[in-house]
Amino acid sequence: MSLLRRRLDLGWRLFGTGFSFFCFGVGALIISISVFPVISLLSPQRDRRRRRIQRAMRRVMSLFVWLMKTLGIITCDIRGAEKLRAPGQLVIANHPSLIDVVILIALMPEVDCIVKQALWRNPFLRWPVSWAGYIPNRGPENLVEACAASLRAGRSLIVFPEGTRTVPGEALQLKRGAAQIALAAGCDVRPVRITVTPPMLSKRQAWYWVPPKPGHWDIEVGDRIGADRIAALGSLSGLAARRLTRHFVDRLSGDPNAPSAV
Amino acid sequence: MRSREEIFEHLKATLVELFETDPAKITPEAHLYADLDIDSIDAIDLVLTLKEYTGKKIQPEEFKSVRTVGDVVNAIEAILAS
Repeated sequence: MSLLRRRLDLGWRLFGTGFSFFCFGVGALIISISVFPVISLLSPQRDRRRRRIQRAMRRVMSLFVWLMKTLGIITCDIRGAEKLRAPGQLVIANHPSLIDVVILIALMPEVDCIVKQALWRNPFLRWPVSWAGYIPNRGPENLVEACAASLRAGRSLIVFPEGTRTVPGEALQLKRGAAQIALAAGCDVRPVRITVTPPMLSKRQAWYWVPPKPGHWDIEVGDRIGADRIAALGSLSGLAARRLTRHFVDRLSGDPNAPSAV
Repeated sequence: MRSREEIFEHLKATLVELFETDPAKITPEAHLYADLDIDSIDAIDLVLTLKEYTGKKIQPEEFKSVRTVGDVVNAIEAILAS
């Protein structure tokens, strides 16, 4: 590519990234005061409201992913997406980028998420997140129990066991919360490995930093770690959580389909 | 009456057994959370196990201010003496 074409390409992707985030921000605001309140009014029954709002969330996230792909700022390759449709599973993923949760929500019919407690103080977002039944992060013990209750009720849940975005190039460091949730709920766990090349929207990069070529999101949905295998570790204890967490590290940093030698 | 050394050795063995903690890292100054990676769920396991050791009921408040291995030894000593 000539220098001029390279500059044009970078410029276009910088514009596209800014435009996408602008649309996301403004779109989220508009939807939060229009579509979501209407859905909520039309579905007074809490469970139905939650499901409808979650399905609407999925559409919004799909639209955002579509926009980024169409503008040519990202590409995506997803394998095993159909495995994400089963209800009542704990979906665990490594967290290389800002948009991982957006992509995962777009792939799942209905799913619970953990969101910052601070969002409950945001005048626009507090209602949509509570209508969606998203789980506020209210400290470790409450959070493990709230997440396990959601899974026991047959809903699926996305958790990033690192607790924050992955630092590129460093070994995966998982907190034990995800394993504690799986042990408390006795549910299936679905590992998802996300690889972004070249790194984009990572912890070390500003959202407006544009890599030399479009970031490629390679998403591999692995085979489940069965509830029976998790139950075989015993009830929730410090030791069981440590053992399961080590297995999660293997699944998320190596082959997500590795036979589960829990 | 058990000595501080006995209590420390018992605590060390308990940590190794419950959490597979590296025995070399367990010193009286070691910080439970920062150095030994013991979280709040682990703390519940630990308190239950120590209840058996002391043979007395342990109030959660007695462990509220515990930060290091030495603090746990002090707390157990106080419980045994009470």
